[in-house]
Amino acid sequence: MEIPFVVNARKDTGLNNSKVGIWLFLASEVTLFGGLFSGYLFLRLYADYPWPERALPILPGLINTFILIGSSVTVVFAWAALKMREWRKFQVHMSITIACALGFMVLKAIEYNAKFSHHAVRISDSGPVEGYGILEGHKKKVVLEENDRLHVVHKENGKYPEESFDANRIVFKASEMTFTLTRPVHDAFVIEILKQAAKRDSKITLVEDYAVMDEDQIGKDGAEKTKVLKAGDELTTDALDKAENVFLDSRAHDSAIRTNFEKASWAWIRDEKGIDKPGYNIIDLEVWKERRKEDNEKLKPLMIGAESGITFRVEPALTLILEPSWMTSNGRNTEQLKLRDDTVIKGEMLESPMILGVDAIDFSFTAMRAREQGLDPAAVIEKSWIVQEPQLKAIWENHQEWLKGETARLAKKDREPSDLDKYRVTWQKIVAYGQAKEADPDADLAKMAEEQTLALPGWLDGFAGADHYNPEMVKHFPEVSIPRDKVDFESTFTPKWNTYYAIYFTITGLHGLHVIGGMIVLGYYLFFGRKMYDSNPDWLANRVEVGGLFWHFVDLVWIFLFPILYLM
Amino acid sequence: MADSVAEIQKAKKLYFFIGMLLFFFTVVTVLVATVEALDFGDHGFDGVDATIGLIIAAFKASLVMIIFMHLNHEKPLIYFFYGLALLMAFFCLWLIGWSKSDPIQFGNPTKVDGFYNPANPATDVHD
Repeated sequence: MEIPFVVNARKDTGLNNSKVGIWLFLASEVTLFGGLFSGYLFLRLYADYPWPERALPILPGLINTFILIGSSVTVVFAWAALKMREWRKFQVHMSITIACALGFMVLKAIEYNAKFSHHAVRISDSGPVEGYGILEGHKKKVVLEENDRLHVVHKENGKYPEESFDANRIVFKASEMTFTLTRPVHDAFVIEILKQAAKRDSKITLVEDYAVMDEDQIGKDGAEKTKVLKAGDELTTDALDKAENVFLDSRAHDSAIRTNFEKASWAWIRDEKGIDKPGYNIIDLEVWKERRKEDNEKLKPLMIGAESGITFRVEPALTLILEPSWMTSNGRNTEQLKLRDDTVIKGEMLESPMILGVDAIDFSFTAMRAREQGLDPAAVIEKSWIVQEPQLKAIWENHQEWLKGETARLAKKDREPSDLDKYRVTWQKIVAYGQAKEADPDADLAKMAEEQTLALPGWLDGFAGADHYNPEMVKHFPEVSIPRDKVDFESTFTPKWNTYYAIYFTITGLHGLHVIGGMIVLGYYLFFGRKMYDSNPDWLANRVEVGGLFWHFVDLVWIFLFPILYLM
Repeated sequence: MADSVAEIQKAKKLYFFIGMLLFFFTVVTVLVATVEALDFGDHGFDGVDATIGLIIAAFKASLVMIIFMHLNHEKPLIYFFYGLALLMAFFCLWLIGWSKSDPIQFGNPTKVDGFYNPANPATDVHD
């Protein structure tokens, strides 16, 4: 079947159908990205935290802008080559366009990877305000020593020791654990706990028999409960499943009886007492309350009433290494942990610091909160835990020294430092201060700032952020042990961290999908277009023009994304 | 739109020139954001820098639309589609901006110090 108007224009529109189609599609794309940009504006205007300005490394974004602009030129050249019947030139220009698209995606991947491996921690203790200071950096790897203390390890022959783990785990010496049978979702936790128990030769055994009355034995004289599990039975997922099934059956039985009683009481109050009102009016009536009291007494002998908790003893006490995300407790209760499935583990919290190679300190939020309360941000920051930590204190003091010089320098131009200058110590500054003090321990940072002689690392020194594989750089990033009770919240730089990264990943992710889509379409013309070119070159030219229009739109979106996300 | 060989050859020169112009304005945008001598308004990022950045971006986008996407030669139907979509997008942006300028809830919107400025910090902090 011949598709009409793929080359020639229709009389009514003056356009060929492909063009009408692509422009309708692009119109829908404009509204889609318009909505997302509005979302960005909304999040930024209404952010209840200082919006991260110029938080992304500029160079990858700048190169990607050049790449997309360049590819916009080559795609239009490819179309021109087809119009002039130059197949070879078309191939060259289209190949460059596709190579640009690939390059764009590679850079995006490098950028995303840097965000996924970079961590930020909110430190809860910010002195007299309800705010938090932020530490950024890379989590260290640790091993648990014989004495239950954590020891930082480094790569040997390009690998970390097998038994190492991220320095962000809860280390807890467990002596007893109680599983809640109302939430039968324990398997993942139990499997991990048993794995760790097997490694350390700990036995986890049931403290008391778990016994439940059989349904058909209820009310009979001398009836005894059936033992589901015996004291001393070892913890297994099967054992827990068994107890859970019995408990859930007994609970279903009890619920049915309770419902029947309630139904009967409901009918009684309506038929015998002549009260026919909605439930929310009846429950407040004295007559209803008294009836329910009677019901409860009558219910008791008919119910199974199985225990909803089951407790195991751990011997010898087991040192568990657990993910913080497993907890619903915040780790501040040092005698008890609560897991997400409501399992309660009793014992003793061991030292479980988060150990971070710190590459940035940010007090913007503390400063914002201090201002809102009419306090001097500098005085508030001085009282925070971050500034009490000796290594971070040294960096902060260096920063204050630099800030003094910077303030003096800007004052000569009738300007003053921005909040970013005052309250955020970037990785570039940490490296620069470190290098200056390394070259001369008495280096006057204030003077260097005033004379602009302090050498900050260049764009290439940290292409997608601080380079934690470069020993010359890493030595300036202090290895800081953050006590567990100071860790308020931690995350990589992903949507979990804040709304800035949520909208960043949403828009750039969607834009990246458009780049991939465009690359596939243009690649199809390049690799499979010859046959169409030979039969009807204008048809292929029209298709390339339509594909090119989409490609220009992808470029157009990036033209706005680059300044908005990287420069503002 | 260029159709004859001579016209296309001429158009190619224009495409190349526009490409260079886009490169140039990209560099200008980065310089305005990073070089202190070109930092207008207050020191560091502020509304003036945002306005300059967005004006340059809008100019670059216009060049792409007019020249690369051939909007300078298009039929009225295309303008209608595109115009309607742009109107919709701008309406969304205006709506957000308009909600922020509500003086009853948000106090004086002109008081910009880089931080959120509720009229009453004790009660208007959004969590």
